[in-house]
Amino acid sequence: MEKVLLKNIENPHSADIDEYKKAGGYRSLSKALDMASKDIIEEVKKAGLRGRGGAGFPVAMKWTFASGDPKFPKYLLCNADEGEPGTFKDRPILEKNPHLLIEGMVISGYALGAEYGYIYLRGEYPAAKDILNKAISQAYENGYLGDGILGKKTRFHLAVHQGAGAYICGEETALIESLEGDKGQPRIKPPFPVNVGVFSKPTVVNNVETLANLPYLIGIGGEAYARIGSPECPGPKIYCVSGHVERPGVYELPMGTSLKDIIYTHCGGIKGGKKLKAVIPGGISTPVLPPEKIDCPMDFVNMPKHGSMLGSGAVIVMDETVCLVKVCYRALKFFEHESCGKCTPCREGTGWLRSILGRIESGEGMEGDVDLLLSVAGNIIGKTFCPLGDGAASVTQNFIKHFRPEFEAHIKNKGCGARQEKL
Amino acid sequence: MITVTINGKEIKLEKPVTVLEAARSAGIKIPTLCYHEQLEKYGGCRLCLVEVEKMPRLQTACTLMAADGMVVRTETEAIADVRRGVLEFLLINHPLDCPYCDKAGECELQDLVEKYGPTTGRFKEKKRKAPESLEDPVLVRNMERCVVCTRCVRMCEGVQGAAAIGVINRGGHSHVEPFSGGRFECEYCGNCVSACPVGAIMSRLHRHSYRPWQLVSETETICPYCGVGCTLVAQVRDDVIKRVVPRIGTPVNNGLLCSRGRFGYEFVGSKERLTTPLIKKNGVLEQSTWEEAIGFVARRLGELKTRYGGDAIAGIASPRCTNEDNYVFQKFMRVALGTNNIDSTARTGYAGAQAFIENIFGQGATANLIPGLANADAVLIAGGDPTAVNPILGLQIRSCARKGGNILTIGHVKGVRHYNPAELKPNVHTEAALLEGVVTALKEKKGLPGSIQTLESKIKEIHRPLDDAARTCGVTEKDLAAFVEALSTASTPALVIGKEVIQSAGGSYNLLLLSAVAYLVNARIHLLSERANEQGVVDMGCAPDLLPGCRPLSYVEFRRRYEAAWKSPIPEKQGMTIFDMIDAAKAGSLRALYVMGENPVFNLPNAKGVEAALRGLELLVVQDIFMTETARMADVVFPALSWAEREGTFTNMERRLQLLRKAVNREGMEDWRIVVEVAGNMGVRMHFSSAEDIFAEITRVSPLHRDLSYEELEKSGIYPYKGEPLRGVTGDIAVAKPAAGDGGGLFLGIERPLFHSGTLSRRAPGLVKIYETAVARISPATAAARSLKEGDMVRVSSVIGYLELPVAVDFAVRDALVMITNNFEGRGALSLMELVLDPVLRAPVADKTAVTIEKAGR
Repeated sequence: MEKVLLKNIENPHSADIDEYKKAGGYRSLSKALDMASKDIIEEVKKAGLRGRGGAGFPVAMKWTFASGDPKFPKYLLCNADEGEPGTFKDRPILEKNPHLLIEGMVISGYALGAEYGYIYLRGEYPAAKDILNKAISQAYENGYLGDGILGKKTRFHLAVHQGAGAYICGEETALIESLEGDKGQPRIKPPFPVNVGVFSKPTVVNNVETLANLPYLIGIGGEAYARIGSPECPGPKIYCVSGHVERPGVYELPMGTSLKDIIYTHCGGIKGGKKLKAVIPGGISTPVLPPEKIDCPMDFVNMPKHGSMLGSGAVIVMDETVCLVKVCYRALKFFEHESCGKCTPCREGTGWLRSILGRIESGEGMEGDVDLLLSVAGNIIGKTFCPLGDGAASVTQNFIKHFRPEFEAHIKNKGCGARQEKL
Repeated sequence: MITVTINGKEIKLEKPVTVLEAARSAGIKIPTLCYHEQLEKYGGCRLCLVEVEKMPRLQTACTLMAADGMVVRTETEAIADVRRGVLEFLLINHPLDCPYCDKAGECELQDLVEKYGPTTGRFKEKKRKAPESLEDPVLVRNMERCVVCTRCVRMCEGVQGAAAIGVINRGGHSHVEPFSGGRFECEYCGNCVSACPVGAIMSRLHRHSYRPWQLVSETETICPYCGVGCTLVAQVRDDVIKRVVPRIGTPVNNGLLCSRGRFGYEFVGSKERLTTPLIKKNGVLEQSTWEEAIGFVARRLGELKTRYGGDAIAGIASPRCTNEDNYVFQKFMRVALGTNNIDSTARTGYAGAQAFIENIFGQGATANLIPGLANADAVLIAGGDPTAVNPILGLQIRSCARKGGNILTIGHVKGVRHYNPAELKPNVHTEAALLEGVVTALKEKKGLPGSIQTLESKIKEIHRPLDDAARTCGVTEKDLAAFVEALSTASTPALVIGKEVIQSAGGSYNLLLLSAVAYLVNARIHLLSERANEQGVVDMGCAPDLLPGCRPLSYVEFRRRYEAAWKSPIPEKQGMTIFDMIDAAKAGSLRALYVMGENPVFNLPNAKGVEAALRGLELLVVQDIFMTETARMADVVFPALSWAEREGTFTNMERRLQLLRKAVNREGMEDWRIVVEVAGNMGVRMHFSSAEDIFAEITRVSPLHRDLSYEELEKSGIYPYKGEPLRGVTGDIAVAKPAAGDGGGLFLGIERPLFHSGTLSRRAPGLVKIYETAVARISPATAAARSLKEGDMVRVSSVIGYLELPVAVDFAVRDALVMITNNFEGRGALSLMELVLDPVLRAPVADKTAVTIEKAGR
């Protein structure tokens, strides 16, 4: 498959506007500005584009809601708060292909009737901040941003806002709160951001990868785009693979590529020929899969049928040397640290789960602790304000579901046989 | 019409509400913690989760809007399990210190756990610890108990508008902390205390002194501090007020209180209260009996009346006393002593200003509803900080700003500074020039409405171009033009007038100009009132020219009607104002003064002069609850019952009549009863045995209060005033223009702090701990010019005298002013102030006293 999102990234100057234009950049923008904005939304609908942030919400539908709201101005926010552990799929776009994102945002803004955009950038991506700011000023200089884009009446202004390091700000309403200058905590929905978003105006929040799909999608048209990858959710997808594989890294493949293929074909299999023990397919919040379940197409529709989720497409591969109790403990430590504290089950429950897992991991587990974990996780899941708490509980539940004997053994043996390699 | 089914019960809803509100309206209880009816929705505690058909997840009833056809279940076994789970989460880190916690017994968490709670602890780890914070003088924080419902934070930010506290850190480390650190250093409204469902933020005033179930009684009564007239609930044990709390749904304050209302009640139980009548013998006040003191006063008054005539005797009534006290007192003066020499400290601003404005617009022009301010689209504030003088009214202004209303201020109004007000800060003594500019511009923009000719003829005379006004006042023309523009485009503006503009040189002219502004933009006028019954004392006829019901004494037919009702003649001659009385005492023509619940030696300008004048009296009688500066000079002192120990009515600044109820018992007599006894001893029988009796007579005699009853008042406050003309309009508007400015130099200003009011608050330890002593408040420029810094002891001197005070540098103070409070004994601003009266309002001019400031001890 031709590379779309990671096109040209081997070029050390790929972030420069001239290189981007040389490779055909900003052509889709001029095509898009010749189209009616509703036709662009129609193309996106035909393409079947789904949001790449993790939930896989149909992009055209979100846009239709926002563009249909009579309030002005409207805002387009790019969610570049790539905080899900294991995820680094947006980073190459931000750092290597910033103009692809900018072009995608201008097209999206035009389609929506939004004249202002923000890129909410993860606090831990300082390099991307400079690269984006440089790219944005180049785009302004070249007339791709600002008033009267490409000599037309279209306006679109874009700025980068850097987060302060909170995972929760990847949740779109928390992102909006943070962008407005408040503490990053999710808001009550409804109203949804498409109607009442940033500064109480209609707001679309899309992931970096989603927006980066736009230039290509408009270039080849929705119908042609829809033929790439899985029929239910087509398009190119970036999978970022980490852990015990021979060639970890970022892979742009058609949506729906099998997890097994990703690990064994593209990444060269398990490092050092060891045995696979577990895979987290879409970032730490998605349910872990045992080796026998990895023959599944990695897309938004099929992964749930196989007991997990596509999430951000962040594949974390763990071989036989890994202590899964420790992995689970480490995950919960993350969730406890990142819980915003707004709702009771997440604020109190994540810490409790972490402490139970901590004592099991350190060999001080007690009989009944595994059931206690399940009970506490059960009291969290489905009761929290936002999906962060659900993620924490489901990670616990799924590790136990597939690897309960390891947890039990940990308690019985007062520690771990598998702990050999540092994760 | 929306129909929802909750637990099988069909509920019809007129307007869109949440599932929780729908359920509550039908009497279905859904447990909550973070929900509070006065606050924005939050959805954080997760206790109100309910099942909704066709929705995959459980939903929080407090955030979910009820939709037509929705089917909700709130009490299934699964939901009970969920609630148990949530409560378990809340308890794992909660210190189970209920036996020690003051909240036990009224703790929402405790109540919920009692209903659903887990009985075994599965949490094996150590609980989070946080030491109790006793760094603040009146609030105590215990963050171990905090359930992070954020009600306090939402109250502080979204309702009080103080934004003094926030949730610090995140996740399990979340806790509430004042932004200033240990001490709250906030407005101390304590509304966070009412919002807290658990024992995390509590008042220190009653710490560990009772359990909620030991409270014997709860009395709903009216706050004694300012003219807003908030309803508060005094909770009592052993005849001591243990706590004052607000109640949701009450008029005016609806569940909110300010620092004075909430933390200022302790004076009632003060050990310094007067207990027995005192009679001066050989120059020393000695304990006496009621019989002796009453007999003595009656005899002396009788003698003096016989010797010098009734007009040699005067009475000072009190805006702190009830309508009933004041009614009886003025009747006593008029009937028993045969004089109209009756007045009160309402004279120092409120009464004159109100009469002035009513003379222009007609009666009741200032009696506008306080909550209406929140719905204005622009509020112009002149002459004070409403959030300090009348805090609960101030909240309505903040609410207006929050809804997008424009706040316009003349001078710096600290309490609204967070709301981006359009501020004009004229130089001292140039307010009139500024207002002339505003009126001139508005006149051109809006044209004259043509309805009030007397005012329009005055407006036509006013001419000052904006550039001239701006130059004279030291503001930019651009700011001034924007200010005028905002005023002229407002469709529902309000005008809030404070005492500073009334008590300034040319106060009547300022009022004319403000009236003109109000007239040109059609603004509602609110007149700030510093005392609880400032309106009532006037309405009761405690004025030399008015009879009860605000009827002018000069109208013969009115006087005849009162004479018939009282079966006694009423002298025709208009009496003395409070300032005339001081002058007359000094001149020797006033022989006796009877002071009820007032402290003229402290509360009138030129304290020493007042003191010297009163020293010449042959008889000074004082009724008070404390040994005040005036009481010390008295020949006879009667100990009165305080606000909490008696019944009666107050009339607030909206002219809303509200009922005071007795909260605690104490031996002694109400002010009115003492007066009745004295009158009786003089042979004038007044047949009153209760406040209700007096009220009944008021409703018979005063046309303003006709046909009202205690039963009606029991239900809620009522408005006696229905728009009928009372005083009559004189036809012309007399004003006295101010003389030209005095140039440079420093002038004395009266600071009106949020934490004190009059002299009661100095006996309320809670308030004193918050604001401990008088300071000389000066601007950073004034301080810099004199090399003064915060805390330096300075001597502030006027021609009258001097005070030595520590400096407080405050950016809110204007450069030419030295602001001093008039609340602390021996350190009152008025003791330095020259007595100069506005010739029209007969109110003192407070901003013309030149002062110097220098380091003390030089």
